[in-house]
Amino acid sequence: MLAIELGADGRVVMSGRLDASQAATAQGFMDKLNGQVVLDCKGLDYLSSAGLGVLLKTQKRLTAAGGQMRLVGVSRHLRDIFTYSGFDQIFDIELAP
Amino acid sequence: MTASRSFPREIDALEQVFGFTAEALPDTAVPPALRRSVDFVLEEYFTNIVKYGGGKGAIAIDIDLSRAGVEVVLTEPDAHFFDVTQVPPIDTTLPIAQRQPGGLGLHLARRLVDTLRYDYARDERRGRITFTIGFSPATADQKEQASDVGH
Repeated sequence: MLAIELGADGRVVMSGRLDASQAATAQGFMDKLNGQVVLDCKGLDYLSSAGLGVLLKTQKRLTAAGGQMRLVGVSRHLRDIFTYSGFDQIFDIELAP
Repeated sequence: MTASRSFPREIDALEQVFGFTAEALPDTAVPPALRRSVDFVLEEYFTNIVKYGGGKGAIAIDIDLSRAGVEVVLTEPDAHFFDVTQVPPIDTTLPIAQRQPGGLGLHLARRLVDTLRYDYARDERRGRITFTIGFSPATADQKEQASDVGH
């Protein structure tokens, strides 16, 4: 299951699994965000192409309006997915320690 | 050791599919990274069948775990011919304005598997996708550690 919420520090915290069955829920949440967004991926165990689509659509909308989304707490597994998909050229990515 | 199960053609069946892979590929037998790769590839082909397959029958999944790695077979009844091995690669270097999510999943799936095969039985209109992901040297080490934990 996927959990997504706004943290106390203003970061969007996503955890669990973002797959095709959760993409609409995630997109609904992300569509409400504006400006500079930090997405904390520390607890995100799994991301499929449906999840990549959510991130891409959000980043497109934000950058078109002058904002952007930064990804932090990214695991090695997620980093590989971002690299294979070329998303490392689209997002500012900070790896998990 | 082969495990087999059938799933309805619904995106919401993914949770059941992942439950099945967790049973067939427990942490004590395979490293989590390998199972995530299996889940990723399986999700891409499963959702592709659900969205574009057009048929109604349940999708059968067989998972075989061996010393070499994992082989997964998806069998689709009432299938239209769609050879997943012939999907052209996408350009992952395009700027954001030109990027589209379509095709990305099949592109990534192709990168994650070691082998990929598509068979189509025209008489029965049955499509079959077979992919394998082996234990890499790194994951073999992790597998050993996982087995140690399990004992």
